Amino acid sequence: MQSGLRYKVPMISAPDDAPLDPAGMLELLERQQSDVHRRTAKLIPWILFAWGVTWLVGYGALWLVDGLGPAFSLPLGVAVAVFVGLMAVSVALSAVLGGLSGRGMKASKQSNFTGAVFGCTCSVAFLAIYVVGAQLSALGMPAEVANVYFPVMYTLIIGILYLVAGAIWRAVPSVVLGGLLAAVALAAGFSAYPTPYLVIAVAGGGVFLAGGLVIALWVRGRFEVPRR
Amino acid sequence: MSELDPVIHAQARLRITSALATLDLGDSIAFPRLQELLDMTAGNLSTHLRKLEDAGYVDVAKTHQGRTPVTYLALSKRGRRAFEDYMDQLRSLLGGTA
Repeated sequence: MQSGLRYKVPMISAPDDAPLDPAGMLELLERQQSDVHRRTAKLIPWILFAWGVTWLVGYGALWLVDGLGPAFSLPLGVAVAVFVGLMAVSVALSAVLGGLSGRGMKASKQSNFTGAVFGCTCSVAFLAIYVVGAQLSALGMPAEVANVYFPVMYTLIIGILYLVAGAIWRAVPSVVLGGLLAAVALAAGFSAYPTPYLVIAVAGGGVFLAGGLVIALWVRGRFEVPRR
Repeated sequence: MSELDPVIHAQARLRITSALATLDLGDSIAFPRLQELLDMTAGNLSTHLRKLEDAGYVDVAKTHQGRTPVTYLALSKRGRRAFEDYMDQLRSLLGGTA
């Protein structure tokens, strides 16, 4: 899985009981912490790449139902199957790679509480969007509007959840990713069906792919992130 | 200027405390994973961890996963405070603001 990512971080000098001068020790300290962050993040790009492909192809398939009509139309059943199938694969891959990233780590009660509340918040948010959308449909929301409401709202809430995650775990890349996804959602909301699907496929999927590429380059030591 | 903490002021132990300080307060890491992250031999890591444990800087919790014994390590509150003081002292020595 990791073979495509040539993981290389500058080696730290051999362990020694003797101290270096203060500048050397401070550099060693900062390099060690940066090295640990890189090593524990080395699977993150693959998670982001998976979601990038899922959004690009999955939302792209939904756009193809009416996006190139009348010349071409992807059957709705096929588009939904592609979308749901890719989502399921990405969820499974994220769970596996997330588990591998956290192997050997034991969270405190406080950390477990934070993680559990955040997980429940995600579920409640997704459910709320579905319930409100279903209620609006029952009240007469046309299918064309529902096809704007659902993708835009799901993209917006995913962006907001990335922002919240970035705030909780002090992860700037998550904040940037969340802000960009929220912007994509708002931009998509200003267009009529089926364009929101195309905007979310290209721009939303592109945000995940670009994020994965940036983190992959950082993991490989191509650039440093300023200390917060 | 007080003397730099001799427990932390050694390359190997600074690397260990720096790595443990990246964990959130109260979180811990298994010995093999820490060894992997630090690229240190088990013997060398054990030796320096014992010195940190003796100083009260590292909490060691021995547990089992199934039948396999696992040792989890974390910076204690005292260790985290000592690490932050050490970092501030280094920056002061180098002319920065602590």
